[in-house]
Amino acid sequence: MALPYHKVNVLTGFKAAAEMKDPKALAKVIKKAQRPLLVVGPKALSIKIGEKLFVEYLVEIAKAGNIPVCATAHTKGKLEELGLVPDSTYDIMEIINHLKDPEWKGVKGEGNHDLVLFGGFRTDLGNQGLSTLKHFAPHLRTMTLCRFYYPNATFSLPNIRKDEDWKALLEGLVEELKTS
Amino acid sequence: MKGTKRLEEIKEIIRAEEDWEPVGPTPMPHVPDLREWDRRLLKTYKPFYAPFCDLCCLCTYGKCDLTGTNRGACGIDIASQQGRMVTIACCMGMAAHAGHAAHIIEYLIEKYGEDYPIDLGNQVNVECPNIRLVLGMKPKTLGDLKKAVEYAATELVHVLSSTHTGQEGDPVDYESKALHISMLDHVCMEAADVAQIVGFKFPTSKADTPIVDMGWGSVDKSKPVILVVGHNPACSTEIIDYLREQGLEDKVEVCGICCTALETTRYSDKAKIIGPLSRQLFFVRAGIADVIVADEQCIRTDLTVEASKVGSVVIASSDKACRGLEEASERPADEVVKEMVEQRKHFLILDHRKAAEVAVKAAMELAPRRKEEKPLMTKEQAQEAAKACKACRNCEQVCPNLLPLSEAIQKAAEGRFEELRACFERCIGCGKCEEVCPQDVPIQKMFQSVASWETWKCRAGRGPVMDTEIRKVGAPIVLGTIPGVVAFVGCSNFPEEIDEVAEMAEEFARRKYIVVLTGCSAMVAGMRKDKDGLTIYEKFPPDFDAGGVVNIGSCVANAHISGAVMKIANIFANLPLRANYEVIADYVLNRVGACGVAWGAMSQKAASIGTGFNRLGVPVVLGPHSSKYRRQYLSRKEEDDWTVMDGRKKELVDTKEPTPEHLCIVVESKERAMVTIAKLCMRKNDTPQGRQIKLTHYIDLHKRLIGGLPPDLHHFVRTERDIPMFFKREVMEFLKQKGWQRKPVLSLPTLIGTYPSKVSVDAVVGGK
Repeated sequence: MALPYHKVNVLTGFKAAAEMKDPKALAKVIKKAQRPLLVVGPKALSIKIGEKLFVEYLVEIAKAGNIPVCATAHTKGKLEELGLVPDSTYDIMEIINHLKDPEWKGVKGEGNHDLVLFGGFRTDLGNQGLSTLKHFAPHLRTMTLCRFYYPNATFSLPNIRKDEDWKALLEGLVEELKTS
Repeated sequence: MKGTKRLEEIKEIIRAEEDWEPVGPTPMPHVPDLREWDRRLLKTYKPFYAPFCDLCCLCTYGKCDLTGTNRGACGIDIASQQGRMVTIACCMGMAAHAGHAAHIIEYLIEKYGEDYPIDLGNQVNVECPNIRLVLGMKPKTLGDLKKAVEYAATELVHVLSSTHTGQEGDPVDYESKALHISMLDHVCMEAADVAQIVGFKFPTSKADTPIVDMGWGSVDKSKPVILVVGHNPACSTEIIDYLREQGLEDKVEVCGICCTALETTRYSDKAKIIGPLSRQLFFVRAGIADVIVADEQCIRTDLTVEASKVGSVVIASSDKACRGLEEASERPADEVVKEMVEQRKHFLILDHRKAAEVAVKAAMELAPRRKEEKPLMTKEQAQEAAKACKACRNCEQVCPNLLPLSEAIQKAAEGRFEELRACFERCIGCGKCEEVCPQDVPIQKMFQSVASWETWKCRAGRGPVMDTEIRKVGAPIVLGTIPGVVAFVGCSNFPEEIDEVAEMAEEFARRKYIVVLTGCSAMVAGMRKDKDGLTIYEKFPPDFDAGGVVNIGSCVANAHISGAVMKIANIFANLPLRANYEVIADYVLNRVGACGVAWGAMSQKAASIGTGFNRLGVPVVLGPHSSKYRRQYLSRKEEDDWTVMDGRKKELVDTKEPTPEHLCIVVESKERAMVTIAKLCMRKNDTPQGRQIKLTHYIDLHKRLIGGLPPDLHHFVRTERDIPMFFKREVMEFLKQKGWQRKPVLSLPTLIGTYPSKVSVDAVVGGK
C-alpha cells in the first residue's frame, strides 16, 4: 500500500486508492464514466506547475473531457477568468454531501455522477471528504489529480516529486481526453 | 424516565418552591428528556460523517475494519462508530471544563465558604442563564454552582457509559448524547467562570476592561519572567497576590499562554499575554521564561523536556497534569527553590499559595543566572543552521499544517527569509518538523529570527454580556436590523496565517455585526495592526452592540456567549428560562441571528463547545482542520423539508427557506468562511428590513470574495421586500432566471409542534 506524502493522511484501514500515473489509463477511466464531475479546490489557484497554475490544467482537463465543474471555496472567479463558467458552486463538504446521495440529480440535473475528479484541495481536507465518499457513496468512484497520493480516493496519482513529471502527466491526460 | 424520588430530589436541589419563574418541562434533564428535540434538529441538519480512521480498536474483539458496509465484531457500523467517537470527544471536552469548574469551586469554597454569594454587579441580574435554563436553578452561592457541576458530572457518567462496547448503536442517538453532554459543557463553563469572577473579583458589569500588552515582544526580559500556561487561574492569581504583597509586582514579569493568560489579565493589567497555544513551543524554546507554571489543559505534554533544554524550571500545579514530577506541596518553599535553582529541577506543587511563593522566589534567583541562556537566534545564525538542510522534505511531510518548510529552509540558507517568516505565520507550533529532521536543523529556533517582536494589544476579558446591553440590542437582533452576532472562538490550529481571525472579525465589525471573541481566537484578533498601528481592540468599541468587538474571556467564558443568546429570548422576548430548554433553543434557532466561528478548533473542548452551541440552535463554521472531528451537521437546501409551525396561526407552513442552512459546517478558505457566516446569520423571523440588511452583506461579500451573485440567493429571498435596494435590478433579473416564487414570511416560526414534545406551541409566544 502506498503512503501519502503528508503523514496526517496515513490510512488506518485497508481499502486504499489505486495509484495511477499513466495518462492513458486515467483518461480511459474518465471516458468510461457516464456522468463525470470535476471539483476544483482553492489550492489550485496558488499552486504553480512550471509557468502555469494548476487551475489552468484543471480547466483544460474539464474542457478536453467535456466534464462539468463544481467550483468550491473562492475558485469561481478565477475559473470564469479562464473562460470556464462552473456548472455549480458549493463548498467541498456541501458538494460531497450531495454526491453521497445516489438519488441526487447532479450538477446538470441529469442524475448523480459516477466519477468525481478532485483537484486543488488541502490534502487533509480532501482526504477527509474522500473518506465520506469511500464509506457512504458506493455508487460512485473518485479520482484525484493533485501531486500527492490520497489513500481514500478510488484512483489517485502517486506522490510526484518533480514539477515536470506532474506537468507531463496532466498534459498527457489533456491530450488523451481530446482524442475520441 | 424519572421516578417520584428523583423528581423530589430535583425539586429540592433547584428549590422549586422559589417563584422567580415557573419550573419548565425539563429540570435537570437526562438524555431522553431532550432526545426528541435533538431528533427534530437532526432531521433537518443530518449528521455528515468523514471517518478519520476506518478501524475500531476500542476493545479486544478488534481491530475491526468498518469500511463501507462492514460491521465490527460487536455489530457496530461506521456511522455509529463516528457518532461514538464524537460522543467520546465531547465527553472529554466537557470533562475538562467540569474538572476545571470543580477544582476552582472547591478552591474558592475552601477560601470563602459554600455560602459565598454570586454577585455579578448591578448590570447582570440573570447571572447564570445556562444553569437557569438547563437545571431550573437560580444559583445564589458557590455551593449552588457546585450542585450544578455535580449534576453535570452524573450525566457525564451516563453518556460516557453509552460508548462502551455493546451499548448505543445508532448514530443519531449517539449525536443526541453528544449534544446533551455538550449542553452540559456550557453549564460547567458557566459555573467555572462565574465562580472565577466572584472569587477572584474579575471585571463584571462593565464593557471597557483594560487594554493589555500582548506578544512575546512585550515581555521585559531584563526582569525575572514567570510564564503561566493552561486554563485555570487559581495558581496565577496567587502569584499576582504574592507579588503584590511583597511589593514585587513591577519587578517580576508575569506572562501567559493560552487561557490562563486571558484569566490573569482579568486579574492584573500588568500581566502580559504572550499569545495563543500555537506559540507555546516557540516561546518556551526562546528561553525567556525563568519559571513556567503549568495548570491544566492544552499544555505541551513535553513541557519539562523543552524547559530543561533552555534551563527554565517547571512547576506543575494541577492534579490533572502531574507529569511524573516529585510532589513538593508539603516541603518548605525555600528548600524547593534551592533545588529548582541549583539543580534546575521541576516539581509538582498542588498548594497554589506555596507554588506562587516558589515560582516568584525561583524566578528571582534564576533570572540573573540565566542571562546567558536567553539569546535569540539571529538571521545570520539561522542562515548558517539552514545550510545543514539536505532537502529530504521529511519536515513538510510530518507538518500537520502541510507547510512548505523544506523550500523555506533552503531559501533561508541563501539568506532569503520571507518564506520562513510565512511558515512561522502559519505554524501551529507542534515541533514535529524538528523531530524528524535527520540533520537536526533547529527549525523552531530559527523562527526566532523571523518572528515579529512587536507588542500587540488585547482587551482583557469582560465576562457576561450585561442585561442592559441585551435590552438594547434584543429587538434589532431578532428583527434582523443588527445583522448578526458573530462569535470567534476556539484554538489556534489555523489553516493559514495567524491573523485571518483578525481580518474576519474586523470585516464583520465594520459591517456592524456584533463581534464577540474568546480564548485563543480573542488573542489572535489583536495580533494585526492597521497602518496607524492600531489593533481591532483599539479601533472598535467594546460594547455588545452593532460594530462592537467584545473579548468575552477565556474558553470557559464561551458560556457567556450561549448565555447572551439565551438572555435575548429571556430578557427581550420574556420567555421563561427556567428548565425550558426546547422553547429557548427553538427561539434561538429561528429568531436569533448568531453564528459561531471556530477557525482553528483543535481540542475536544472545542468539539463540545461547538456541539453545545448547536443544540441551542446556533450554527458553527469550522476551519478545514475540523474535518478531522469526523462530523458536521449539514442540510441540503434544495431537497430538504423546511416546514415549520406558524406559532400565531398554529399551522404547518412550508417556508421553502433554508435558514439557517447548516448547523455545523467545515469550509476551506477564509473567503468562503466569511460568505458562509453572513448566510448563517439569516433567520426565518427576519423582518423584510432585517433580511434586506443581511442579504446586502451576503451579496456584497459573495461578489467581492467569490464572484457574482450567490447562486443560491433565490432560496433566501422571500418577497420583493427582502431585496436590497442597492442590488435590486440585478437580483430581480437573477430571480427571474431562476423562476423564483414568493415564500411565506412568518413572524413566529417554530419547530415546536412539528415533533413529539411535552411543550405546546403556546409556550413559544413570549411577551414581545
